[in-house]
Amino acid sequence: MRPILLQGHTRSLTQIKYNPEGDLLFSVSKDHVVNAWYSHNGERLGTYNGHVGAIWTVDVNSTSTLLLTGSADNTAKLWEVETGNCLHTWEFKTAVKRVAFSEDDCMALFVTEQRMGFPGTVTIYSIANDVNAKQSDEPIMIIMPEGSKAMVSDWGYLNKYIIIGHENGSISQFDWKTGEKVKSIQPHTDVITDLQMSEDRTYFITSSKDKSAQIFESNTLVPLKKYITDAPLNSASITPIQEFVILGGGQDAMQVTTTTMRQGKFECRFWHKIFEEEVGRVKGHFGPINTIAVHSDGKSFSSGGEDGYVRVHHFDEEYFKFKYPEL
Amino acid sequence: MNFRSHLLIVIFELNATKSSWADEVGEEFDLPIETFTDENGIKTILEYKTNDDGKKVKVTRKIKKTLIKECVNKAVAERKKWAKFGDERGKKVGPDLSTTSIGEQIFLKLSSTGKHSELAEESDINKRKAALVGKKILCRICKSDHFTIQCPYKDTLQPLDELGKELEANKETAPASEPITAEASTGGKYIPPSMRAGAKPTTSDSYKERRDDATIRVTNLSEDTTENDIHDLFRRFGNISRVYLARDRETNACKGFAFVSFGHREDASKALQAINGYGYDNLILRVEWAK
Repeated sequence: MRPILLQGHTRSLTQIKYNPEGDLLFSVSKDHVVNAWYSHNGERLGTYNGHVGAIWTVDVNSTSTLLLTGSADNTAKLWEVETGNCLHTWEFKTAVKRVAFSEDDCMALFVTEQRMGFPGTVTIYSIANDVNAKQSDEPIMIIMPEGSKAMVSDWGYLNKYIIIGHENGSISQFDWKTGEKVKSIQPHTDVITDLQMSEDRTYFITSSKDKSAQIFESNTLVPLKKYITDAPLNSASITPIQEFVILGGGQDAMQVTTTTMRQGKFECRFWHKIFEEEVGRVKGHFGPINTIAVHSDGKSFSSGGEDGYVRVHHFDEEYFKFKYPEL
Repeated sequence: MNFRSHLLIVIFELNATKSSWADEVGEEFDLPIETFTDENGIKTILEYKTNDDGKKVKVTRKIKKTLIKECVNKAVAERKKWAKFGDERGKKVGPDLSTTSIGEQIFLKLSSTGKHSELAEESDINKRKAALVGKKILCRICKSDHFTIQCPYKDTLQPLDELGKELEANKETAPASEPITAEASTGGKYIPPSMRAGAKPTTSDSYKERRDDATIRVTNLSEDTTENDIHDLFRRFGNISRVYLARDRETNACKGFAFVSFGHREDASKALQAINGYGYDNLILRVEWAK
């Protein structure tokens, strides 16, 4: 396959995300720019200009009309996907590290950084699902996780819970209506870098700097699968069609100059989701892979790296013919 | 509309540059562009023109149009029509080279080491071992606890007791061969082990047997020959079981010779007769039986 290289950023990528149909790809990076791309040919549809700090996170709603971004300029912005207009800005005390629309698009959670004496929070706002409507500035709930700060978060199925991944490697499940912690486990030993839901949100995958990725059931937080690699992981994603997970990472950017490229392990690793065995690798990035997203039809995936590139890969025919050897 | 006017300008310029008399003569032969469509819907365009060297060339272009229908989500189709915005505002449709490029070809080779089947195999071995616990297994070659057939030294050593018997036999025959060995030792002349008294000639025989007799050696190959070239060259003679192309360790270029093993000796001899003296890549190949 020949990947499409998207050169819309001048600094490292922080998150990329497909819309539900997968025809649009949104990428955010530390260079203050939000880009929207057509995923089939890599054409840039437009940019969303307005942030004045590094952008950490992006999410799009299920009808692809609204886009949320969270930035280190202590704001989160709501954009109209079609025109690039900023519809609303929420002000926070600290940087916004993660945003996520709820499954019904009526709410969104914002994970804020713990810094300058302010505690880290997970704040939930209601979202009016109309481009012209006025958005509320009154949060529904502010959760302040005790202990280790929240890094990543997403909604469980039917908006029952929110799941939070923490800096110390623990994962907790909160009832967002009461703001109480329901369950907590400590599966990783280092910071959790990514948390992506399966298509029906009944299970999710986490990646961690402790060089492993794990799949848990959303409801019970029972660990289902574990993938142990040889490099710190920054992102993990689940693929449709083939039963794979794609893991990305590599040594930290600050250590890159001290070693050769091959030692950096800057490859997307394909692991068999069920049998927990590595089945293939895709190389190409010159730095650690920061974020991975899979097209909802399972025929392509994208990776964004510390090198500032987004690479869109459309799988070859052989990919779909692969069968795991029978036992 | 735009495109057409552009074409006209090009033609005008061409005419303007044709000032030399030779070109004008050539123009006389210029035939009109012919187009016709056959029953399969393949459109053929025949064109005659003069190339840069002043030679007249016939250009045949065959075009087949296939309509591919793709069903997409209505919302997706709508989104494809969206106007560009932000930094892309007003730019034309299609990927812009400044932001989008195509990377190098990469391969995702999916493979499984069959970790699970391996595990199963391992447990199978363990099971068999467990079943044989209590029974005494002794390798005849190295005297450790596995079957003789599985001995790692099977090819290099012979069973210990056989060796012992052989030694005894040697002792018996020793007086007869003593003068020779004495002579050899006094002369200080080196005798290779295979030539020494008591050496078994069988080893060399088996070695010969292993060198399959359907192998030919091809020499005088050019530097940029590849395994595939050899395959292509010899495939027509029969089933090829192995191709070995000698390569330089550093440059990876062909060293000029290769070995080709066939499934049958007849195929090999056919290939030998046909390809020996065959011109290939400006060189004349030499083929002989591998020794």
